[in-house]
Amino acid sequence: MTDGSQAALALRGLVKRFDTKVAVAGVDLDVPAGSFFGLLGPNGAGKTTTLSMAVGLLRPDAGAAWVLGHDVWRDPVEAKRRLGVLPDGARLFDRLTGAELLAYTGLLRGMAPAVVDQRARELLDVLALADAGRTLVVDYSAGMKKKIGLACALLHGPRLLVLDEPFEAVDPVSAALIREILQRYVAGGGTVIFSSHVMAVVERLCSHVAILAEGTIKAVGTLDEVRGDRSLEDVFVEIVGGRTATGQELSWL
Amino acid sequence: MAVNPPPAAAPGREDHPETAPLDQAPRPVRVRHFARLKLRMIGNGLRGQPWRIALFAIGALFGLWLAFGGFFLLAAPGLADNADLAVVVPAFAGAILVLAWLLLPLAFFGVDETLDPARFALLPVPRRTLVMGLLAAALVGVPAVATFGATAGLVLGAGARGGWPAAAAQAAGVLAGLLLCVAASRAVTSAFAGMLRSRRVRDLAAVGLALMAALLGPLQVAVIAAVERADYHEFVGPARVLGWTPLAAPYTLGIDVVEGHAWAVPVKLAITAVAIAGLLWWWSASLEWAMVGAASGADARSRGGVSGGPVAQLFPRTVQWLPRSQYGAVVAREVRYWWRDARRRANLIAISVVGVFVPAMVTLSSGVLAGQTQQRTPISVTLSILFVGVYGAVLLANQFGFDGTAYAAHLVAGVPGRTELRARMVAASVYLVPVLTVVAVVATVIVREPVWLPTLLGGIYAAYGTGLAVNQSVSILGAYAMPETSNPFAMNAGQGVGKSLLAFVAMLGTLVLASPYLVAAGLAGGTALWAWLALPVGLGYGLGAVALGLYIAGDTLDRRGPELLLAVTPRR
Repeated sequence: MTDGSQAALALRGLVKRFDTKVAVAGVDLDVPAGSFFGLLGPNGAGKTTTLSMAVGLLRPDAGAAWVLGHDVWRDPVEAKRRLGVLPDGARLFDRLTGAELLAYTGLLRGMAPAVVDQRARELLDVLALADAGRTLVVDYSAGMKKKIGLACALLHGPRLLVLDEPFEAVDPVSAALIREILQRYVAGGGTVIFSSHVMAVVERLCSHVAILAEGTIKAVGTLDEVRGDRSLEDVFVEIVGGRTATGQELSWL
Repeated sequence: MAVNPPPAAAPGREDHPETAPLDQAPRPVRVRHFARLKLRMIGNGLRGQPWRIALFAIGALFGLWLAFGGFFLLAAPGLADNADLAVVVPAFAGAILVLAWLLLPLAFFGVDETLDPARFALLPVPRRTLVMGLLAAALVGVPAVATFGATAGLVLGAGARGGWPAAAAQAAGVLAGLLLCVAASRAVTSAFAGMLRSRRVRDLAAVGLALMAALLGPLQVAVIAAVERADYHEFVGPARVLGWTPLAAPYTLGIDVVEGHAWAVPVKLAITAVAIAGLLWWWSASLEWAMVGAASGADARSRGGVSGGPVAQLFPRTVQWLPRSQYGAVVAREVRYWWRDARRRANLIAISVVGVFVPAMVTLSSGVLAGQTQQRTPISVTLSILFVGVYGAVLLANQFGFDGTAYAAHLVAGVPGRTELRARMVAASVYLVPVLTVVAVVATVIVREPVWLPTLLGGIYAAYGTGLAVNQSVSILGAYAMPETSNPFAMNAGQGVGKSLLAFVAMLGTLVLASPYLVAAGLAGGTALWAWLALPVGLGYGLGAVALGLYIAGDTLDRRGPELLLAVTPRR
């Protein structure tokens, strides 16, 4: 693990309770600058909760988060300027067209209108969304929604991208496009952290991984450190503690 | 079905016959399952949420109060053996009740969509069962129970004058009337939801809503006149006519038996049954639409070519003067949303209709009743105008709930609270200020007193500005999640009370804040000086209130952004 001061994203002791249920029970994590970081975990492990607290969408009960050295909760303006976010499950302002949504996001980020226009056009072209024309985002397909969400996160040129389930419900063609863009972004010096439970994608893309289960980090490090000489899936299932079918149940199937 | 005997290691198999293989006939879905599902969902919604339990209790108490009050009011004419009133009250009360069920969900409260029809789209439930089941589920709720309790007073009243036969006929009528009320409200909201979603029909919807609201007008005038003159006899005729329409047919059965034409009972029941059947058929037809969802692709394509860059596209033509900044962007997006979001558009239509009709009705009825003898002062008109101003601002009481989780984008971008709120107020005012101005002008035209225009305008702007100020804070502290459906009238179970309470608190707060202006207007009203001062003073008062509200609420929003996001996130 790298030194905390160099980390693009540093989490310390993040805790979140909902009523009586502990969703995140003390997460410490350092995402090194320039890394392609995969946050793995089964459903309900606390991935979305952790990432929401890391980017300032959900107030943690305890702990802190730093983006490139700026405290997300004490110095939100500086932290959020360096941050691009694709939340999962959160709606976009979906009664705008793709172009309108990008223009809106750019102006919200305080960018100059000319820059917004130029970048928005480029992003729409590259992500193959320019054909959608005047279609409202609410009428987009799931893959198109992910792509326009990613475009919104990229528009202001952040140094850190936090993506919650960027590949969920995305067709293979769009997924390949998203992968290519993210790889180019990391090659250009950016840092990406994304959550997923698809092992193949993580093994293919990531330089670093962390496995989150029951609200705590169970394993963290470079991809090779975590998986050793086994497959990532074996390591993951062992750590998370999945059960194997005995063949007795579901006999009516 | 012993082809595949279950292995002994599967415990509980015998206790759960519904896990039987597919080739066995499934147990049919019955209407009572829907009612039980609704009860269970109400119960689960309350579990572990003290404030929701409190809201539900308040709603239940209010319903109980209405039920008891209505019961005695409706039973009184029969018990007092007043022959005229016993004809007039059931007919008019019944008609008002049915109209209330028809119109109130459209204008104010929304409709309980706990059981969203779309959820049943994939289940093998016959349409007939689905409609009956949803109807049964709609009967499970405070409004239906309160209506039933109140109208039961008619049974007592009829029984007191006509004995058991009259009571029995009226009891059947009360049940039929309840079904009519619920079916009417579901059918109309469901149909309107579909109409408003397909943008082409939205203008027609506005006219339809206006017409239905207009129906309330003459009725209100008549009722007020009756109360004023205490001469009920002239209403016996209209009441008898009303009794032959579906509006009041079920509620006049008892009086028919009392008066000796029992032959009318089956006929009127048939009228009611036909009305209910027609409404259910209408509902069933629009349900299909709701379940499948409207295709809006064609609409999007027909909107013409793309012109200008993305930034130019974002800004509607009416607000081209806005700066291309964070503030300007939020205003532009909000202006687009007030029209593109069916839920917001429904609210705008409602305020436009109510805004024109309430002052008009108050003015007309006071003019009709008081005649020309009384000295006319702007007081009653001003009060109704003030109400419209306050009601307009209440549209913003849950402004963040409209956006739901999309608000996360503002949080991530770090939009300052004051910029955000100022932009939202400006965007809403782009629509509401013209509406309010028209309302004031229409009111002066109706009373034929053009000199009152500055007074009325000053009053409506002061009320609207104060309302905006209060609702900024209310919208942050009292935000609640709205269901993510395309039905603009939908809301979650138990939200009716919360929503009304929130609006009530906002209106009360507005009244308190506006009281200095009201006192000044009351003291100086009618003088020549005030006629000139009212507009600038009212405008200044409103703007001052907005500035103060913005100052306070802006800080609150900066502090509570994440909590606000959590509050508007629907529970899954």
